Amino acid sequence: MRISSPKLTLGIFSIIVGILIASQMKLNVDQITPVTIQSIIAARNELNSVRNEIVDLEKTIAAKEEELRLLESIGEGEANLVDILKDDVYKNKVAAGYTSLKGPGIQIVMFDNMNLEELSFSFNDDIIHDVDILNIINDLKVAGAEAISINDQRVMSYSEIKCGGPIIRINGKSIGTPFIIKAIGDPQLLMAAVNAPGTYGDTLRTVFGIGLQPYAEDEIRIPAYQGDFAYSYAGLLEEGE
Amino acid sequence: MKNKKEIAALIFVSLLLGLILSIQFKTINKSIGGGALPTQRAQELANDLRKAQAEKESQLRLIQELEGKIEQYEKGGIEDDIYAENLYKDAMKYRMLAGYSDMSGPGVVLEINDPPVDIQYGEGFSIVDELDLILQVISVLNAADAEAISINDQRYTAFTEIVRAGNHIEINGVSTSSPIVIKAIGNADTLESALSIKWGIVWQLRNYDYIVNLTQDKNVVIPKYRRVKEFIYASPVEEKLQ
Repeated sequence: MRISSPKLTLGIFSIIVGILIASQMKLNVDQITPVTIQSIIAARNELNSVRNEIVDLEKTIAAKEEELRLLESIGEGEANLVDILKDDVYKNKVAAGYTSLKGPGIQIVMFDNMNLEELSFSFNDDIIHDVDILNIINDLKVAGAEAISINDQRVMSYSEIKCGGPIIRINGKSIGTPFIIKAIGDPQLLMAAVNAPGTYGDTLRTVFGIGLQPYAEDEIRIPAYQGDFAYSYAGLLEEGE
Repeated sequence: MKNKKEIAALIFVSLLLGLILSIQFKTINKSIGGGALPTQRAQELANDLRKAQAEKESQLRLIQELEGKIEQYEKGGIEDDIYAENLYKDAMKYRMLAGYSDMSGPGVVLEINDPPVDIQYGEGFSIVDELDLILQVISVLNAADAEAISINDQRYTAFTEIVRAGNHIEINGVSTSSPIVIKAIGNADTLESALSIKWGIVWQLRNYDYIVNLTQDKNVVIPKYRRVKEFIYASPVEEKLQ
Protein backbone atom coordinates (compact mmCIF):
# COMPACT_ATOMS: atom_id res chain seq x y z
CA MET A 1 0.00 0.00 0.00
CA ARG A 2 1.36 3.38 -0.96
CA ILE A 3 1.79 6.00 1.77
CA SER A 4 0.33 9.11 0.35
CA SER A 5 0.83 11.67 3.07
CA PRO A 6 4.07 13.63 2.50
CA LYS A 7 3.94 14.81 6.08
CA LEU A 8 4.26 11.26 7.32
CA THR A 9 7.23 10.59 5.03
CA LEU A 10 8.89 13.78 6.16
CA GLY A 11 8.24 12.92 9.78
CA ILE A 12 9.78 9.47 9.41
CA PHE A 13 12.82 10.87 7.60
CA SER A 14 13.33 13.58 10.22
CA ILE A 15 13.26 10.96 12.93
CA ILE A 16 15.82 8.85 11.06
CA VAL A 17 18.10 11.87 10.51
CA GLY A 18 17.75 12.83 14.16
CA ILE A 19 18.65 9.33 15.31
CA LEU A 20 21.61 9.22 12.92
CA ILE A 21 23.02 12.56 14.08
CA ALA A 22 22.42 11.70 17.70
CA SER A 23 24.12 8.31 17.41
CA GLN A 24 26.98 9.89 15.48
CA MET A 25 27.51 12.51 18.17
CA LYS A 26 27.23 9.95 20.94
CA LEU A 27 29.86 7.85 19.24
CA ASN A 28 32.22 10.82 18.84
CA VAL A 29 31.65 12.10 22.34
CA ASP A 30 32.59 8.69 23.62
CA GLN A 31 35.95 8.89 21.89
CA ILE A 32 36.62 12.51 22.71
CA THR A 33 35.63 12.46 26.35
CA PRO A 34 39.18 12.72 27.71
CA VAL A 35 40.11 15.24 25.03
CA THR A 36 38.32 18.39 26.04
CA ILE A 37 39.88 21.71 25.20
CA GLN A 38 40.81 22.16 28.86
CA SER A 39 42.66 18.87 28.95
CA ILE A 40 44.63 19.84 25.85
CA ILE A 41 45.61 23.14 27.43
CA ALA A 42 46.54 21.34 30.65
CA ALA A 43 48.68 18.87 28.72
CA ARG A 44 50.39 21.72 26.89
CA ASN A 45 51.14 23.50 30.17
CA GLU A 46 52.57 20.34 31.63
CA LEU A 47 54.71 19.83 28.56
CA ASN A 48 56.04 23.38 28.85
CA SER A 49 56.93 22.97 32.48
CA VAL A 50 58.70 19.65 31.84
CA ARG A 51 60.67 21.34 29.06
CA ASN A 52 61.64 24.14 31.44
CA GLU A 53 62.82 21.54 33.92
CA ILE A 54 64.90 19.95 31.19
CA VAL A 55 66.55 23.29 30.44
CA ASP A 56 67.40 23.63 34.13
CA LEU A 57 68.76 20.10 34.24
CA GLU A 58 70.92 20.78 31.20
CA LYS A 59 72.49 23.68 33.04
CA THR A 60 73.17 21.43 36.00
CA ILE A 61 74.72 18.81 33.75
CA ALA A 62 76.96 21.40 32.08
CA ALA A 63 78.13 22.61 35.50
CA LYS A 64 78.83 19.08 36.71
CA GLU A 65 80.68 18.16 33.54
CA GLU A 66 82.85 21.23 33.91
CA GLU A 67 83.59 20.22 37.48
CA LEU A 68 84.45 16.69 36.43
CA ARG A 69 86.68 17.93 33.60
CA LEU A 70 88.61 20.05 36.08
CA LEU A 71 89.02 17.11 38.44
CA GLU A 72 90.20 14.87 35.63
CA SER A 73 92.82 17.39 34.58
CA ILE A 74 94.48 16.99 37.99
CA GLY A 75 96.18 13.90 36.69
CA GLU A 76 97.75 15.91 33.87
CA GLY A 77 99.14 18.39 36.32
CA GLU A 78 97.10 21.29 35.00
CA ALA A 79 94.98 21.83 38.06
CA ASN A 80 95.27 20.95 41.65
CA LEU A 81 92.67 19.65 44.01
CA VAL A 82 93.25 22.29 46.68
CA ASP A 83 92.43 25.10 44.24
CA ILE A 84 89.36 23.30 42.98
CA LEU A 85 88.12 22.72 46.52
CA LYS A 86 88.83 26.32 47.50
CA ASP A 87 86.82 27.46 44.53
CA ASP A 88 84.02 25.10 45.45
CA VAL A 89 83.96 26.33 49.05
CA TYR A 90 83.76 29.91 47.88
CA LYS A 91 81.00 29.23 45.35
CA ASN A 92 78.86 27.40 47.86
CA LYS A 93 79.55 30.04 50.49
CA VAL A 94 78.10 32.66 48.16
CA ALA A 95 75.11 30.45 47.33
CA ALA A 96 74.53 29.69 51.02
CA GLY A 97 74.43 33.37 51.93
CA TYR A 98 77.66 33.57 53.94
CA THR A 99 79.13 36.45 51.96
CA SER A 100 77.98 40.04 51.60
CA LEU A 101 76.65 40.83 48.17
CA LYS A 102 76.16 43.99 46.19
CA GLY A 103 74.39 44.78 42.96
CA PRO A 104 71.45 46.62 41.43
CA GLY A 105 68.11 46.06 43.06
CA ILE A 106 65.34 47.65 45.03
CA GLN A 107 64.75 48.81 48.54
CA ILE A 108 61.27 48.72 50.04
CA VAL A 109 60.33 50.69 53.12
CA MET A 110 57.24 49.34 54.88
CA PHE A 111 55.46 50.93 57.80
CA ASP A 112 52.09 50.56 59.53
CA ASN A 113 49.06 52.60 58.61
CA MET A 114 49.51 55.74 60.66
CA ASN A 115 46.29 57.46 59.64
CA LEU A 116 44.37 58.08 62.85
CA GLU A 117 41.09 59.08 61.26
CA GLU A 118 40.71 56.21 58.91
CA LEU A 119 38.89 53.66 61.02
CA SER A 120 39.31 50.19 59.66
CA PHE A 121 37.31 47.13 60.59
CA SER A 122 39.97 46.07 63.01
CA PHE A 123 43.26 47.53 64.16
CA ASN A 124 44.83 44.31 62.88
CA ASP A 125 44.30 45.52 59.34
CA ASP A 126 46.42 48.58 59.99
CA ILE A 127 49.63 46.84 60.96
CA ILE A 128 52.12 44.73 59.07
CA HIS A 129 52.02 41.01 59.80
CA ASP A 130 54.42 38.19 59.12
CA VAL A 131 52.15 36.97 56.31
CA ASP A 132 52.53 40.31 54.52
CA ILE A 133 56.30 40.12 54.68
CA LEU A 134 56.27 36.45 53.61
CA ASN A 135 54.16 37.27 50.58
CA ILE A 136 56.33 40.21 49.57
CA ILE A 137 59.47 38.06 49.92
CA ASN A 138 57.91 35.30 47.85
CA ASP A 139 56.92 37.80 45.16
CA LEU A 140 60.50 39.08 45.09
CA LYS A 141 61.83 35.53 44.73
CA VAL A 142 59.44 34.88 41.84
CA ALA A 143 60.85 38.00 40.18
CA GLY A 144 64.31 36.46 40.43
CA ALA A 145 65.77 38.16 43.50
CA GLU A 146 69.27 36.85 44.13
CA ALA A 147 69.61 37.97 47.73
CA ILE A 148 67.10 39.46 50.15
CA SER A 149 67.48 41.08 53.54
CA ILE A 150 65.04 42.57 56.04
CA ASN A 151 66.49 45.29 58.26
CA ASP A 152 69.93 43.93 57.41
CA GLN A 153 69.05 40.39 58.40
CA ARG A 154 69.79 38.12 55.45
CA VAL A 155 66.81 35.96 54.46
CA MET A 156 68.04 32.35 54.45
CA SER A 157 66.27 29.09 53.76
CA TYR A 158 66.09 28.60 57.52
CA SER A 159 65.10 32.16 58.40
CA GLU A 160 61.90 32.36 60.35
CA ILE A 161 59.73 35.43 59.92
CA LYS A 162 57.24 35.42 62.77
CA CYS A 163 55.06 37.95 64.52
CA GLY A 164 55.97 38.30 68.17
CA GLY A 165 53.62 40.94 69.52
CA PRO A 166 54.79 44.42 68.56
CA ILE A 167 57.83 43.19 66.64
CA ILE A 168 58.72 40.63 64.01
CA ARG A 169 61.40 38.05 64.65
CA ILE A 170 63.82 37.08 61.95
CA ASN A 171 66.99 35.00 62.34
CA GLY A 172 66.36 35.05 66.08
CA LYS A 173 66.54 38.86 66.20
CA SER A 174 63.64 41.21 66.84
CA ILE A 175 62.96 43.99 64.39
CA GLY A 176 60.32 46.70 64.48
CA THR A 177 58.76 49.02 61.93
CA PRO A 178 59.76 50.50 59.59
CA PHE A 179 60.83 47.34 57.81
CA ILE A 180 63.44 47.87 55.15
CA ILE A 181 63.49 45.02 52.66
CA LYS A 182 66.40 44.98 50.23
CA ALA A 183 66.67 42.71 47.23
CA ILE A 184 69.29 42.33 44.51
CA GLY A 185 68.09 41.47 41.03
CA ASP A 186 66.66 43.11 37.93
CA PRO A 187 65.29 46.38 39.40
CA GLN A 188 62.48 46.61 36.86
CA LEU A 189 61.21 43.11 37.50
CA LEU A 190 61.49 43.53 41.25
CA MET A 191 59.65 46.84 41.16
CA ALA A 192 56.88 45.26 39.12
CA ALA A 193 56.61 42.38 41.59
CA VAL A 194 55.62 44.66 44.45
CA ASN A 195 54.20 47.64 42.59
CA ALA A 196 52.09 46.42 39.69
CA PRO A 197 48.31 46.53 40.10
CA GLY A 198 46.97 43.26 41.46
CA THR A 199 50.11 42.27 43.28
CA TYR A 200 50.11 41.66 47.00
CA GLY A 201 52.09 44.82 47.68
CA ASP A 202 49.66 46.94 45.71
CA THR A 203 46.72 45.50 47.66
CA LEU A 204 48.46 46.23 50.96
CA ARG A 205 49.00 49.83 49.97
CA THR A 206 45.74 50.69 48.32
CA VAL A 207 43.29 48.60 50.35
CA PHE A 208 44.83 48.52 53.79
CA GLY A 209 46.67 51.81 53.64
CA ILE A 210 49.93 50.27 54.75
CA GLY A 211 53.01 52.25 53.84
CA LEU A 212 55.03 50.51 51.13
CA GLN A 213 57.56 52.55 49.23
CA PRO A 214 59.83 50.76 46.78
CA TYR A 215 62.86 52.51 45.31
CA ALA A 216 65.04 51.14 42.54
CA GLU A 217 68.72 51.58 43.28
CA ASP A 218 71.95 51.07 41.36
CA GLU A 219 73.79 49.52 44.21
CA ILE A 220 72.26 47.62 47.07
CA ARG A 221 74.45 45.98 49.69
CA ILE A 222 73.17 42.93 51.46
CA PRO A 223 75.10 41.66 54.46
CA ALA A 224 76.11 38.07 55.04
CA TYR A 225 74.21 35.84 57.44
CA GLN A 226 75.40 36.65 60.93
CA GLY A 227 73.72 33.94 62.95
CA ASP A 228 75.21 30.70 64.08
CA PHE A 229 73.24 28.01 62.38
CA ALA A 230 74.43 24.48 62.93
CA TYR A 231 72.98 21.11 62.10
CA SER A 232 72.22 19.00 65.13
CA TYR A 233 69.53 16.68 63.78
CA ALA A 234 70.07 16.56 60.05
CA GLY A 235 72.94 14.63 58.56
CA LEU A 236 74.11 13.79 55.09
CA LEU A 237 72.18 11.02 53.46
CA GLU A 238 74.48 8.05 53.15
CA GLU A 239 74.44 6.18 49.87
CA GLY A 240 72.78 2.80 49.85
CA GLU A 241 70.68 3.52 52.86
CA MET B 1 0.14 26.91 -3.06
CA LYS B 2 0.28 24.83 0.09
CA ASN B 3 3.03 22.66 -1.35
CA LYS B 4 5.35 25.59 -2.12
CA LYS B 5 4.95 26.94 1.38
CA GLU B 6 5.95 23.61 2.80
CA ILE B 7 9.01 23.42 0.57
CA ALA B 8 10.04 26.94 1.57
CA ALA B 9 9.73 26.03 5.24
CA LEU B 10 11.78 22.89 4.69
CA ILE B 11 14.54 24.81 2.90
CA PHE B 12 14.62 27.34 5.71
CA VAL B 13 14.92 24.67 8.39
CA SER B 14 17.65 22.82 6.44
CA LEU B 15 19.59 26.06 5.99
CA LEU B 16 19.36 26.71 9.72
CA LEU B 17 20.56 23.19 10.53
CA GLY B 18 23.49 23.54 8.12
CA LEU B 19 24.43 26.90 9.61
CA ILE B 20 24.34 25.58 13.17
CA LEU B 21 26.46 22.56 12.27
CA SER B 22 29.06 24.65 10.42
CA ILE B 23 29.26 27.21 13.24
CA GLN B 24 29.76 24.38 15.69
CA PHE B 25 32.62 22.89 13.67
CA LYS B 26 34.20 26.28 13.06
CA THR B 27 34.24 27.20 16.75
CA ILE B 28 35.70 23.86 17.77
CA ASN B 29 38.37 24.11 15.09
CA LYS B 30 39.22 27.66 16.06
CA SER B 31 39.52 27.03 19.75
CA ILE B 32 41.75 24.02 19.21
CA GLY B 33 43.60 25.58 16.31
CA GLY B 34 45.83 24.27 13.61
CA GLY B 35 42.95 22.61 11.86
CA ALA B 36 44.03 19.31 13.38
CA LEU B 37 41.49 17.01 14.88
CA PRO B 38 41.39 17.31 18.66
CA THR B 39 42.16 13.66 19.18
CA GLN B 40 45.25 13.90 16.99
CA ARG B 41 46.44 17.02 18.76
CA ALA B 42 45.96 15.39 22.15
CA GLN B 43 47.85 12.32 21.07
CA GLU B 44 50.69 14.43 19.76
CA LEU B 45 50.86 16.27 23.06
CA ALA B 46 50.77 13.05 25.03
CA ASN B 47 53.61 11.66 22.91
CA ASP B 48 55.69 14.81 23.33
CA LEU B 49 55.08 14.73 27.05
CA ARG B 50 56.18 11.11 27.30
CA LYS B 51 59.32 11.88 25.32
CA ALA B 52 60.11 14.92 27.45
CA GLN B 53 59.62 12.96 30.63
CA ALA B 54 61.88 10.18 29.39
CA GLU B 55 64.50 12.79 28.55
CA LYS B 56 64.18 14.25 32.02
CA GLU B 57 64.65 10.83 33.60
CA SER B 58 67.76 10.13 31.57
CA GLN B 59 69.17 13.53 32.49
CA LEU B 60 68.57 12.88 36.16
CA ARG B 61 70.43 9.58 35.81
CA LEU B 62 73.30 11.33 34.02
CA ILE B 63 73.54 13.88 36.82
CA GLN B 64 73.70 11.11 39.41
CA GLU B 65 76.45 9.40 37.45
CA LEU B 66 78.46 12.61 37.18
CA GLU B 67 78.00 13.32 40.87
CA GLY B 68 79.23 9.84 41.74
CA LYS B 69 82.34 10.31 39.62
CA ILE B 70 83.06 13.72 41.10
CA GLU B 71 82.76 12.33 44.60
CA GLN B 72 85.19 9.53 43.76
CA TYR B 73 87.78 11.96 42.43
CA GLU B 74 87.43 14.25 45.40
CA LYS B 75 87.56 11.46 47.95
CA GLY B 76 90.52 9.87 46.19
CA GLY B 77 92.41 13.14 46.12
CA ILE B 78 92.11 14.00 49.80
CA GLU B 79 93.29 10.70 51.23
CA ASP B 80 96.89 11.70 51.85
CA ASP B 81 96.49 15.42 52.36
CA ILE B 82 95.17 16.90 55.59
CA TYR B 83 94.83 20.40 54.15
CA ALA B 84 92.76 19.12 51.25
CA GLU B 85 90.72 17.00 53.63
CA ASN B 86 89.83 20.02 55.74
CA LEU B 87 88.94 21.95 52.63
CA TYR B 88 86.75 19.09 51.52
CA LYS B 89 84.94 19.13 54.86
CA ASP B 90 84.45 22.88 54.53
CA ALA B 91 83.10 22.42 51.02
CA MET B 92 80.65 19.80 52.26
CA LYS B 93 79.53 22.12 55.06
CA TYR B 94 78.70 24.97 52.71
CA ARG B 95 77.13 22.59 50.23
CA MET B 96 74.84 21.44 53.02
CA LEU B 97 74.04 25.03 54.01
CA ALA B 98 73.30 26.02 50.42
CA GLY B 99 71.02 23.02 50.04
CA TYR B 100 73.18 21.13 47.54
CA SER B 101 73.25 17.82 49.41
CA ASP B 102 70.68 15.21 50.35
CA MET B 103 69.86 15.24 54.03
CA SER B 104 68.28 12.79 56.42
CA GLY B 105 67.30 12.86 60.06
CA PRO B 106 64.36 12.83 62.45
CA GLY B 107 61.53 15.22 61.78
CA VAL B 108 57.91 15.63 60.77
CA VAL B 109 55.86 15.06 57.64
CA LEU B 110 52.87 17.29 57.02
CA GLU B 111 50.41 16.31 54.34
CA ILE B 112 47.80 18.82 53.18
CA ASN B 113 44.96 17.45 51.09
CA ASP B 114 42.40 19.64 49.39
CA PRO B 115 39.02 19.79 51.06
CA PRO B 116 36.40 17.41 49.67
CA VAL B 117 34.37 18.88 46.83
CA ASP B 118 31.20 20.50 48.06
CA ILE B 119 28.34 18.65 46.40
CA GLN B 120 26.00 21.56 46.81
CA TYR B 121 28.17 24.16 45.10
CA GLY B 122 30.11 21.96 42.73
CA GLU B 123 33.66 23.24 42.64
CA GLY B 124 35.66 23.15 45.81
CA PHE B 125 38.72 25.23 46.56
CA SER B 126 42.29 24.15 46.68
CA ILE B 127 45.55 24.99 48.41
CA VAL B 128 46.56 26.46 45.04
CA ASP B 129 44.33 29.42 45.89
CA GLU B 130 45.97 30.01 49.25
CA LEU B 131 49.68 29.70 48.78
CA ASP B 132 50.46 31.96 51.73
CA LEU B 133 49.33 29.12 53.98
CA ILE B 134 52.30 27.12 52.71
CA LEU B 135 54.58 30.11 53.32
CA GLN B 136 53.27 30.29 56.87
CA VAL B 137 53.84 26.59 57.49
CA ILE B 138 57.46 27.03 56.41
CA SER B 139 57.93 30.08 58.58
CA VAL B 140 56.52 28.20 61.59
CA LEU B 141 58.83 25.26 60.89
CA ASN B 142 61.80 27.62 60.69
CA ALA B 143 60.75 29.31 63.92
CA ALA B 144 60.81 25.83 65.50
CA ASP B 145 64.41 25.40 64.31
CA ALA B 146 63.85 23.13 61.33
CA GLU B 147 67.15 22.35 59.66
CA ALA B 148 65.99 21.34 56.20
CA ILE B 149 62.58 21.63 54.56
CA SER B 150 61.13 20.23 51.36
CA ILE B 151 57.79 20.76 49.66
CA ASN B 152 56.72 17.87 47.45
CA ASP B 153 60.38 16.77 47.34
CA GLN B 154 61.59 20.20 46.26
CA ARG B 155 64.21 21.49 48.66
CA TYR B 156 63.28 24.83 50.22
CA THR B 157 66.26 27.14 49.74
CA ALA B 158 66.79 30.87 50.04
CA PHE B 159 65.83 31.16 46.36
CA THR B 160 62.79 28.91 46.41
CA GLU B 161 59.71 30.60 45.08
CA ILE B 162 56.20 29.28 45.39
CA VAL B 163 54.07 30.52 42.54
CA ARG B 164 50.72 29.69 41.10
CA ALA B 165 50.63 28.67 37.45
CA GLY B 166 47.11 27.94 36.31
CA ASN B 167 45.75 25.03 38.25
CA HIS B 168 49.00 23.95 39.76
CA ILE B 169 51.91 25.27 41.75
CA GLU B 170 55.47 25.79 40.65
CA ILE B 171 58.18 25.33 43.23
CA ASN B 172 61.81 25.71 42.16
CA GLY B 173 60.47 25.85 38.62
CA VAL B 174 59.03 22.35 38.90
CA SER B 175 55.29 22.04 38.66
CA THR B 176 53.44 20.17 41.32
CA SER B 177 49.98 20.16 42.79
CA SER B 178 47.87 19.06 45.68
CA PRO B 179 48.35 17.07 47.92
CA ILE B 180 51.18 19.11 49.37
CA VAL B 181 53.68 17.11 51.40
CA ILE B 182 55.98 19.25 53.52
CA LYS B 183 58.88 17.48 55.21
CA ALA B 184 61.16 18.99 57.80
CA ILE B 185 64.18 17.75 59.72
CA GLY B 186 64.69 18.93 63.28
CA ASN B 187 63.51 18.20 66.78
CA ALA B 188 60.36 16.26 65.95
CA ASP B 189 58.53 17.12 69.19
CA THR B 190 59.21 20.84 68.87
CA LEU B 191 58.24 20.86 65.22
CA GLU B 192 55.03 18.97 65.86
CA SER B 193 53.91 21.09 68.77
CA ALA B 194 54.77 24.33 66.94
CA LEU B 195 52.57 23.30 64.05
CA SER B 196 49.67 21.91 66.03
CA ILE B 197 49.41 24.51 68.78
CA LYS B 198 45.86 25.72 69.38
CA TRP B 199 44.92 28.48 66.88
CA GLY B 200 48.15 27.57 65.12
CA ILE B 201 48.67 26.88 61.44
CA VAL B 202 47.42 23.28 61.39
CA TRP B 203 44.34 24.34 63.34
CA GLN B 204 43.81 27.12 60.81
CA LEU B 205 44.17 24.70 57.88
CA ARG B 206 41.69 22.27 59.44
CA ASN B 207 39.37 25.16 60.09
CA TYR B 208 39.39 25.83 56.34
CA ASP B 209 38.40 22.15 55.80
CA TYR B 210 41.77 20.97 54.53
CA ILE B 211 42.49 17.37 55.38
CA VAL B 212 45.76 17.59 57.27
CA ASN B 213 47.97 14.71 58.36
CA LEU B 214 50.85 15.46 60.69
CA THR B 215 53.19 12.63 61.62
CA GLN B 216 56.58 12.30 63.21
CA ASP B 217 59.16 10.30 61.33
CA LYS B 218 62.48 8.95 62.60
CA ASN B 219 64.09 9.12 59.19
CA VAL B 220 62.97 11.96 56.97
CA VAL B 221 64.85 12.18 53.69
CA ILE B 222 65.10 15.58 52.02
CA PRO B 223 66.55 15.78 48.52
CA LYS B 224 69.05 18.34 47.35
CA TYR B 225 68.38 21.49 45.35
CA ARG B 226 68.78 20.62 41.69
CA ARG B 227 69.11 24.01 40.09
CA VAL B 228 72.31 25.85 39.39
CA LYS B 229 71.87 29.29 40.89
CA GLU B 230 73.50 31.89 38.73
CA PHE B 231 74.21 35.28 40.19
CA ILE B 232 73.73 37.74 37.36
CA TYR B 233 73.16 40.95 39.25
CA ALA B 234 74.79 40.27 42.60
CA SER B 235 78.52 40.23 43.12
CA PRO B 236 80.39 39.56 46.36
CA VAL B 237 81.58 42.53 48.39
CA GLU B 238 85.31 42.40 49.04
CA GLU B 239 85.82 41.76 52.70
CA LYS B 240 87.51 44.57 54.52
CA LEU B 241 89.36 42.42 57.02
CA GLN B 242 91.77 41.07 54.46
